[in-house]
Amino acid sequence: MKVTVEQIGRQCEEELIVRCHDPGADWVESVREAASGQQTVCGWREGVLYRLKLSEAFYFEVVDDRSFVYTQAEVFEAKEKLYEFERLCTGSTLFRCSKSMVLNAEKIDYVRPSLSGRFEAVLSNGEKVIVSRKYVADLKRMLGV
Amino acid sequence: MTIYGIIMLCTFFMCLLFNPASELPVVTFFGRIMVFTLIALLSLAVYYSKEELTVKAWWVRTVLHLLLLEAVLLPLAHYWGFWQSGTDILIYAGFILLAEALWHLVDYSINAKTAAQINERIRKNRLEKKTGKE
Repeated sequence: MKVTVEQIGRQCEEELIVRCHDPGADWVESVREAASGQQTVCGWREGVLYRLKLSEAFYFEVVDDRSFVYTQAEVFEAKEKLYEFERLCTGSTLFRCSKSMVLNAEKIDYVRPSLSGRFEAVLSNGEKVIVSRKYVADLKRMLGV
Repeated sequence: MTIYGIIMLCTFFMCLLFNPASELPVVTFFGRIMVFTLIALLSLAVYYSKEELTVKAWWVRTVLHLLLLEAVLLPLAHYWGFWQSGTDILIYAGFILLAEALWHLVDYSINAKTAAQINERIRKNRLEKKTGKE
């Protein structure tokens, strides 16, 4: 397979284009995973701006019209709206899990049913978040169930 | 479908217990069950919310849903002769409560099955990653 790497200036946005016969091939998935792990989002905390890798994010949540990015143990405020997060996360392991949240499927330890007809996802840092039944199909598709 | 089945079961047991000799044309019977189901489905609007419901809000709405069902279905069932008087109304109200509980139970067991599938996949993916790294 031919591999081309082109060095570009700092002012240009980094981009990866895959030309392949089968978009569902294992190696394409691996490239996609690696690329999405490099994708970043900006978050503020105590007046300091941080650049966070999407792969570090546990979930994004919108509370009272304010957006937050939650990582292992920290919370950052972000400027993006939920639909912008969703668009940013296309092709990554993050998916819309409820009306106000985008969750990283990679960080889910396990899920359990809730009496309220929804699911409770227990994350690897011990946090519990709600997954609406409406979005469970997306999680199943993402995991390959 | 679940609601329709539950209502059919409840109606069957109500007739079996209180009026086993009753006769009802098939079309009338199924038609009434369909009306009950439609009401039950429309009453689900109480769960509508722009925001994600908290557990507390969900319980409040579930109680409201039950009260709404009792308030609409009891008079209608009386009009159609499903219950006559006295203790009948308590038993019929109990059936509605039981139907609501059964519906949530069926819902919960379907979700439990889905959760088990997801957890199994998460476990496999984790194992594949682990063995892939080694």
